[in-house]
Amino acid sequence: MSALSEPPTMAFLCRADLQLSAGKLAVQCAHAAIGSLKQAKKTHSRMVQRWQETSSRKICLSVDDEEDLMYFFDLVKDASLPYSLVQDAGLTEVAPGTVTVLGVGPAPRHTMDHLFSELKAYD
Amino acid sequence: MGLRNFIHRLTAPKPSKSIPLDENLKMVFVVNHELKMGKGKIAAQVAHAAVKATLSCGERDPALLDAWFKTGQKKICVKGESALHLDSLSLEAKNCGIMANKIHDAGHTQIPSGSFTVLVLGPCSDEEIESITGDLKLL
Repeated sequence: MSALSEPPTMAFLCRADLQLSAGKLAVQCAHAAIGSLKQAKKTHSRMVQRWQETSSRKICLSVDDEEDLMYFFDLVKDASLPYSLVQDAGLTEVAPGTVTVLGVGPAPRHTMDHLFSELKAYD
Repeated sequence: MGLRNFIHRLTAPKPSKSIPLDENLKMVFVVNHELKMGKGKIAAQVAHAAVKATLSCGERDPALLDAWFKTGQKKICVKGESALHLDSLSLEAKNCGIMANKIHDAGHTQIPSGSFTVLVLGPCSDEEIESITGDLKLL
């Protein structure tokens, strides 16, 4: 399949060690989605448009802990992709300022697959 | 009324009701619990919902969206029983003038295509939404 026919993707890298509840995790990803989209609109507007015209594909991936998350954070910055790092206000479940989720994209699917090939889906 | 004034009235943007910043604005996601989705799946569906609700609020009431952003964009997730339950909540919300958006899954993974996964309400004030989703359990 050519790169163009693949839907652009947004990825959420979620820390597995925090063991967040389903609702908490969902809200953190929603924050990440809006944050990353806001940035992408400024810097990658054509990609955003294509993402919205296709299925707005989103995937949730699992990272082990903060260190693991920061490793991928550096990769994402080096690749100049839009991102949003979510720090929780800490009103429930985790301490204030805890980094919970990194939202990345939208970006071409093959770029994502390449960057995050070692990560498994969060379940 | 002078002509200029008249034309201005026709073309000026409608004054949006001003929203005090101390108001407790929330976006509420009602997740269809019947579908037994995994955590990652729920998170992706809720993210879809958040983006959809944000974009549609941006078109319909930018001042409200702005106020919600400035007050920390609060979001909460609650459990809904079934697609029917979500439908009835959506109707109730619309009757109260609360924005409601439905998310249906493309069904590439885990669940049948077209399943009604998440209903997103708001942003709107705590008091407005309380009567609709107040009884639902947090997810």
